[in-house]
Amino acid sequence: MNPRAIPAGLILCLLAMLVLVPLAGLVNLGTLPGYESGDLQFWHSAYIRRVLFFSLWQAILSTLFSVVPAILVARAFALQPAFPLRGVLLRLFALPLVVPSVVAVMGVVSVYGSDGWLPLGRTLYGLAGILLAHVFFNLPLAVRLLLPLWQSIPRRHWHLAEQLDMNAWQRWRFLEWPALREGLPGVMLLVFMLCLTSFAVVLTLGGGPKSTTLEVAIYQSLRFDFEPTRAVVLALLQLCLCLLVAGLTLKLQRLPEVEITIDEASTAVKPVYRPLQLLLISLAAIYVAMPLVSMLLDALAGPLAQVISNSALWRSIANTLFIGLSAALASVVAGWLLLRYSASLALAGLVGRARLVELSGSIVYVVPPLVIGTGLFVLLSPHVDVFGWVYPIVIAVNALMGLPFVIRSLGPALRQNHARYDRLCQSLALSGWSRLRYVEWPLLRRPLGLAMALVAALAMGDLGVIALFGTPNTATLTLLIYQQLGAYLIADATVTALLLLLLCLTVFWLLERGIGGRADA
Amino acid sequence: MLLFLRSCLVALLALWLSSGASAAMPTLTVYTYDSFTSDWGPGPQVKKAFEAQCGCQLNLVGLEDGVSMLNRIKLEGGNTRADLVLGIDTNLTAEARATGLFEAHGVTLKSSSLPEPWSDNTFLPYDYGYFAFVYNRERLASPPASLRQLVEDDNGPTILVQDPRTSTPGLGLLLWVKKVYGDQADAAWARLSKRIVTVSKGWSEAYGLFLKNEADMVLSYTTSPAYHMIAEQDQRFAAARFSEGHYQQIEVAGMLRSSQQKQLARDFLEFMLSERFQSIIPTTNWMYPAALARSSLPPEFAQLIDPSPALLFDEELVAERRKAWVDEWLEVMSR
Repeated sequence: MNPRAIPAGLILCLLAMLVLVPLAGLVNLGTLPGYESGDLQFWHSAYIRRVLFFSLWQAILSTLFSVVPAILVARAFALQPAFPLRGVLLRLFALPLVVPSVVAVMGVVSVYGSDGWLPLGRTLYGLAGILLAHVFFNLPLAVRLLLPLWQSIPRRHWHLAEQLDMNAWQRWRFLEWPALREGLPGVMLLVFMLCLTSFAVVLTLGGGPKSTTLEVAIYQSLRFDFEPTRAVVLALLQLCLCLLVAGLTLKLQRLPEVEITIDEASTAVKPVYRPLQLLLISLAAIYVAMPLVSMLLDALAGPLAQVISNSALWRSIANTLFIGLSAALASVVAGWLLLRYSASLALAGLVGRARLVELSGSIVYVVPPLVIGTGLFVLLSPHVDVFGWVYPIVIAVNALMGLPFVIRSLGPALRQNHARYDRLCQSLALSGWSRLRYVEWPLLRRPLGLAMALVAALAMGDLGVIALFGTPNTATLTLLIYQQLGAYLIADATVTALLLLLLCLTVFWLLERGIGGRADA
Repeated sequence: MLLFLRSCLVALLALWLSSGASAAMPTLTVYTYDSFTSDWGPGPQVKKAFEAQCGCQLNLVGLEDGVSMLNRIKLEGGNTRADLVLGIDTNLTAEARATGLFEAHGVTLKSSSLPEPWSDNTFLPYDYGYFAFVYNRERLASPPASLRQLVEDDNGPTILVQDPRTSTPGLGLLLWVKKVYGDQADAAWARLSKRIVTVSKGWSEAYGLFLKNEADMVLSYTTSPAYHMIAEQDQRFAAARFSEGHYQQIEVAGMLRSSQQKQLARDFLEFMLSERFQSIIPTTNWMYPAALARSSLPPEFAQLIDPSPALLFDEELVAERRKAWVDEWLEVMSR
C-alpha cells in the first residue's frame, strides 16, 4: 500500500466531511416537522431551466474571454523576461482576485459607466458588463497560473529549437503547446468554476433577473424562501455541472511523458524583442489596472485620516490577517498531501485515479460557502457554542475554497518533481524530512509561495461565512467595507478597500518572496 | 527560508492562544443586523447606555439582515442563545410568529409616533421608514409625482432597484407596485423594466451606483436625504414624493420563549422605547424612531417629504402571497 495514501485519504475524508455532511444535515432538516419539505417539482419550471442555461452560457463565455487572451499574455510575459516593470505587473495581476465583488463592480463602473473613462452607457448592464468584470477578475489569475508552464520547459529544449532553426509556429507546436496542455485544462476549469459561482457581479452588472445564476437561486432558497432541501438539490446540480465540464476539460489534458532531467527550467534563451508581445502585455496591464487605478483615485480623494484613525479598522486588519494566513497554511498543507498522493499514483501509471484525487480537491469549490456554512451550523449548534467556533469554521471553509488554487499552482510542479526525482530518492533511501528539505523544497518553493499567497489573498478578500455566523468582534476588512457601504459611507468604504488591497499586496509579496525566494516569478 | 515558515507558525499559534477570556455578569444576547452593530450604527451607543443602567453585559450579534436573523432562529429553535431579536420587519413578522418561538413582550408602547395604531403583543416597533426614489436635484429637475407617472411615462427617469429575492427594499418596491397596481402589477413591471438600469443584490450596490450617476433615481428611503444633509452638509439629494403614498417598513424586536433572562429582556424592550434609545436612531439608523415626538427629531428631518398615506399590506397576506408575487415579478422581468 502506498504510504502516501493514508494522509491523502484523511484529507479526502475531511473534504467529504466538510462538504457532504453539511449537505446531509440540511436535507435532514428539510424532513423535520415544521419545515416544508419543499416543492421538488421546481425541476420542471422554466425558471430553473433558464437559470441553468444562463449560468452555463455566461461561465463558458467568461472562461473563453479570460483564458484565451491569458495564453497570449502569459506567452508574451514568458518570452519577454526583460520587459520593464515585469515583476510589478505580475504582482498587480494578483490583485483583482482579492477585490471584494461589490468594490470591483464599483471599479468597473468607474471605468465603463456613464461618467467613466470609457463610457458604455446602458450596454454595460447585461452580458457585456458581466464579461468585462469576469475578465478583469480572471484574466490576470490565468496569466499567473499559466506563466509557470512556460518556465517548466527545460532550457535545453529551447537550445535545441534554436539549433533546429524552428520558427515561432514550430516552437509553439512542439515546445509550448505540449507544456501548456498539461496545465491549461485545469486553469480553464478553475476559471469556469469561479465564473459559474459568481453572484453579486452577475446580479448587479447583469441588468436584472434575466441574468440569474444557479448561485442566486441557491441563495434565494436559503434565505427568503428558506427551503434547505431545495438549496441542497441546486448545490448538487451545480456540482454535477462542474463535474461534467471537468470531464470535458480533462479529456483535453495530456500529462507529459516521464522525463528524467536535472536541467534547470528556464524561458527562452535569447529574448527577442517583439513589439506585438509588448503591445499585448501593455493592453492587458491597462485593462487590469484601469478599475484598480480608478479605485485608487477614489480612495485618495476619500477621508483617509478618518478611516485610518478608526480603531475598528486595526482590529479588522488583525482578524483579516489571522484568517488569511491560517487558511493559506491549512489549504497548502492539505493540497500538498493530496498532490503528493496523486503524483505517486500518476507515476505508477494510475493516471485516472490520480486525476480523480486532484479533481475531488478542486471541485468542492462550487458548493457555495453559504450552503456549507449553514449545514455546519445546523450540525454544530445543538452541541457547541458556535460563537467559539467562528474562527475554525471560517478558516476551514476558506481553506477549502483555496484548495483549487493550490492544486492549480502546485500540481504541475509537484508532478514534475516526482517524475524526475522519485526513483532517485528511493534509491538513495531519501525520505521524510530530508527529502522535503533537499529535494522538494528547493524546486517547489516557488509554486508553493504562489499557492500560499493566492489562498491568503483570496481568504482575506472573502466575505463568505463570517457574515453568516455573525459574532461581535470578528469583523474582517471585507465585512467592514460592507458595513460602511450599508451606512452610506461609500467614500470610507473605498478607502478601506484600498487598505485591503495594500494589505493583500504586502502579504502576497511577503509570502511569494519569503517562501518562493528571490528570483522573480 | 524554512525559518520564515516556522516564524509564521509561531505567530499564528500566538494569535490563536491570545483569543478568549470574558467576564461573569448576566449577559443579554440580542440578534440584530450588522449595520446596527457597526461603528456607524446605533449599536455602540445603545450598548453603552443600556449597560450603564442594567448591570449586565449586552451582547449584540450582527447578522446579515432580518431574513438571516429569522432563519437563524428557525435553525436554532429552542436552543437559541438569543434572548431578543431586533431588526426584523413587518414583512417577516407573520413568519416569525408562526415559528412559535416568540413570547408576548408585555410592554406597552406608550408614546407611539407611528402613523398607525400598534396592537401587536409579540413584536414591538423601534423604528420605521418609507421606501422612496431618491434623486439628485441638480441632475433631475422634475421628478415624477406619482408611482403611476414613474411607471407610465416612457421618457421618464432611469432607475436603480434591488432584487426582491435578496433584498428588503427590493421586496418593498414589489409590494408597493402591488399595492398601487393590484392585478395589473405585471404589466406595470413590464413597462417600468425598460428604464431599470440594473437590479442589484442589495441596497449598497444600487446606492453606490446611483452616487456614480449611473441612473437618475434609486430605490431607497424617504430619510436618505437626511443623511446627506446632516453628515455631509449636502443639500442636493431629495426623495420624490409619490401621490399614492409610500410603502412603509416597520422594524420590530421580539423576545424569545427560550430566554433565560426574560426580566432583562423586558428591561431592554422598555429601554428600546425610552427617549435615550429612540434619540440615537435618527442619525445612526437613518429611520424615524417609533416612540419619539416629531419635535425631538433633528431639524433636517422637517425638510423631508411627507410620505403619507403609509401603504402597508397585512403581514399574513405578505407571508402567504410573497412567493407567488416574486415568481410573477421574475416572469415579467426575465422576458
